[in-house]
Amino acid sequence: MNMLRILIFCVLALAQVAVPAAMVWQREQTLKQGRVWKFRTAPVDPVDAIRGRYIALRFAAEEFNAPVKFESGNKPVYAVLKQDTDGFAEVDHLTTETVVTDDVVPVKSAWWSSGKQHVSFPFDKFWVAEANAPEAERAYIENNRRDKQNAYVTVRVRHGDAALDQLFIDNKPLSEYLRSHFPR
Amino acid sequence: MAGVRNRWAIRWLRSQLPELVASGVITSENAQAIERHYGHDEPRTNFAFVILATLGSALVAAGIVLLIAHNWDDLSRATRTAIAFLPLLIAQALVVFTLMRRNESRPWCEAAAIFDVAAVATAISLISQTYQLQGTFADFMRTWLLLSIAIVYLLRTTLGAIAYVIGCVVWLFAGWGMFSPEGNPMLFWLLLVLVVPYVAIRFRHDHDSRETATLVIILALAALFGVGATAEFANAHVGAIAYAGLATVIYLCGMKFFPQATGRLHPLAVVGGIAIGVVTIVLSFESNWHMTYYVGSVSRSSTANLAVAVELLFPIAAVCLAGFDLLGRRAAFSLSAALLPIFAAVAWAITHLCELPDNKWHSTSCSFAAATLMNCYALLLGIDILARGIRTNSIARANFGLLLIAVLAICRFFDSDLSFVARGVGFIIVGLGFLVANLLLFKRRTAS
Repeated sequence: MNMLRILIFCVLALAQVAVPAAMVWQREQTLKQGRVWKFRTAPVDPVDAIRGRYIALRFAAEEFNAPVKFESGNKPVYAVLKQDTDGFAEVDHLTTETVVTDDVVPVKSAWWSSGKQHVSFPFDKFWVAEANAPEAERAYIENNRRDKQNAYVTVRVRHGDAALDQLFIDNKPLSEYLRSHFPR
Repeated sequence: MAGVRNRWAIRWLRSQLPELVASGVITSENAQAIERHYGHDEPRTNFAFVILATLGSALVAAGIVLLIAHNWDDLSRATRTAIAFLPLLIAQALVVFTLMRRNESRPWCEAAAIFDVAAVATAISLISQTYQLQGTFADFMRTWLLLSIAIVYLLRTTLGAIAYVIGCVVWLFAGWGMFSPEGNPMLFWLLLVLVVPYVAIRFRHDHDSRETATLVIILALAALFGVGATAEFANAHVGAIAYAGLATVIYLCGMKFFPQATGRLHPLAVVGGIAIGVVTIVLSFESNWHMTYYVGSVSRSSTANLAVAVELLFPIAAVCLAGFDLLGRRAAFSLSAALLPIFAAVAWAITHLCELPDNKWHSTSCSFAAATLMNCYALLLGIDILARGIRTNSIARANFGLLLIAVLAICRFFDSDLSFVARGVGFIIVGLGFLVANLLLFKRRTAS
C-alpha cells in the first residue's frame, strides 16, 4: 500500500517538475530561435506603472489608424507585424486566421473607436526583482513620458509564440541601466 | 499531556529496574518482562518539535532566497531556473522520506505536504518571473491547485485540504469576479469536487474531530461563494432557489451526518441554520423578486445551461435529503427550515405568473406576492425556531428565532410605508417578545 503511494507520488513529482519545465522549454525555444521585434513603449499613468513586482507595459503599436472596425466574430485575433522606418514594430493588419510565422503575435483584445483600431498585446508585464522595483519604477516613468520617450522592449516571436525578452531604457537593458544610474 | 506523562513514567520505571532487581524486589525475569512490555512503546515525534523544525527550515529557506534575490538580476537565466527548481526537489525528497519512514506521523505528513505545495508555487512563480511569462493570477492558481490536490490524498493532510478549498475560492475571486465577467466559474465546482472524496474519508475515519468539522464548514462556505458566482454567470434568475437549496443542504447535512448526543447542534448545522436565516431575510425583500423577460430572450451557451443545472442541484439535493428522512420517520431537523427551497421555488413560480417587465427595477403584483409569501415564511421560521428553543431549553436557539423575527420586522419597517405609530408598536412587541422569552427560559433553567 505504502509502495503504491510512493509510486503515485513519483508520478505527481514528475508532473510538478514537468509543468514549470515545459514553460522553460517553450520559452527557451522562442528566445533562442524567435525573430527579434522592438516595441516602443507608450506613456503610462505613473500611478499605474508598477503593480507589485512588475512594470505594466503599454505600446505605441497597440493603436493604429483604421477607417473601419475589425470584425473578429468572437474568434481569436492575431496581429501581423511589420517594421517601421526606425526599426520598431507596428501592426500591419489584424487577422483571425491562425498563422504560425515569426511575424504574428496573438492579441488579447481588440476594439475600435473614432478611426483608430486598438489592440492589447499579451506581453504587458515586465517582472522585476523586488529589491529593484522602486528604482525600476522611477527609471521607467522618467524615460516614458510624452516629452521623453526613451524606452522599448524586445520581443522574440516564433511560430506565433511571443516571448518578452528585455526592457531597454536609454538603449541599455533595465538591469544595466539600474546599475549605472542607481549604484548600490 | 497524559501521553507525555506516561512516557516519562515508563522512562523512570525502566531506570529503576536494575536497582529493583539488585535489592531483590523483583526478579531479573520480571525486569525483562517489564522491558518487553514497554519495548514496543517507541518514542513518538513531538508535534511542537516538528512545527518548530518546519518553521526553522522555512526561515532558513527564506533567508537563502533573500540572499539570492539581492543579486537576482545579475544571475543568468539558467542559474535562476536551477534555483527555482531546488526547493521543489528538496520538498519532493522530503515527501518521499515521509512516505517511507514517517508515514504514521501526522506532524511529518502535514509539514511535508505544506512544504511541497509551497515549493510548487515558488517554482512556478520564479520561472514565470525569470522568463517573463504573462499568465494571470487565476491561471497560476489553477495550475497550482491541480498540482497540489494529490498531495492531500497521499499525505492525508486535512490542513492541506482546508488550504486547497480556500485556494479554490481565491481562484474564483481572481478568475471570475462580479466585475470581470470573462470566462466562467464552472471550473470551481470541478476543483471543489476533487476534494470531496477526501472529506468522505475523513468523515469515515475521524467523524467527531475538530479538523473534520473545520473542513466541512470551510467546504460549505466555499460552496456559498461558488453558488454566488455561478448564479451571476448563469444569469437565469434561479440564484434565489440555488441559495435556498444550498443553505438547507448545509443545515440538513449538519443534522443528519453529525448528530450530537448532548442535544447541541454540530457547527455545520449552526452554519446551515444561520445561512437559512440570512437567505430567508434577503429573499423577503421585494426587489429580489424583480424579474425581466431579458434573460429568457437571449441565446444561452451550453456552459451557462450547465451552470443552471449546478444551481438546481442544491434545491433538489435538499428536497431528497429531507424527503428521505421524513419518509423513514427519522427527521431530527426543523421542518420549517427544510421547507426554504420549496417556498423559494413557489415564490419564483409566482413571479412568473405575471408578464415580465423589460427592466429589472420594475415591480409587479407578482413580485409583491412572492415577497409576501417569503415574509410569511420568515415569520413562520422565526416562530418555529423560537418554539424549538423554548421546548429544548436552548437560549441560543430561542434568541436566534427572536432575532430572525426582529430583523424581519426592522427590514419591513424601513422599506414599507407603515406609519410611525405602527412601527413603534411593532418594535415594542418584538422587544417584549425578547424579554418575555428570555425571562421564561432563565426561570426554567434556574428551576431545573
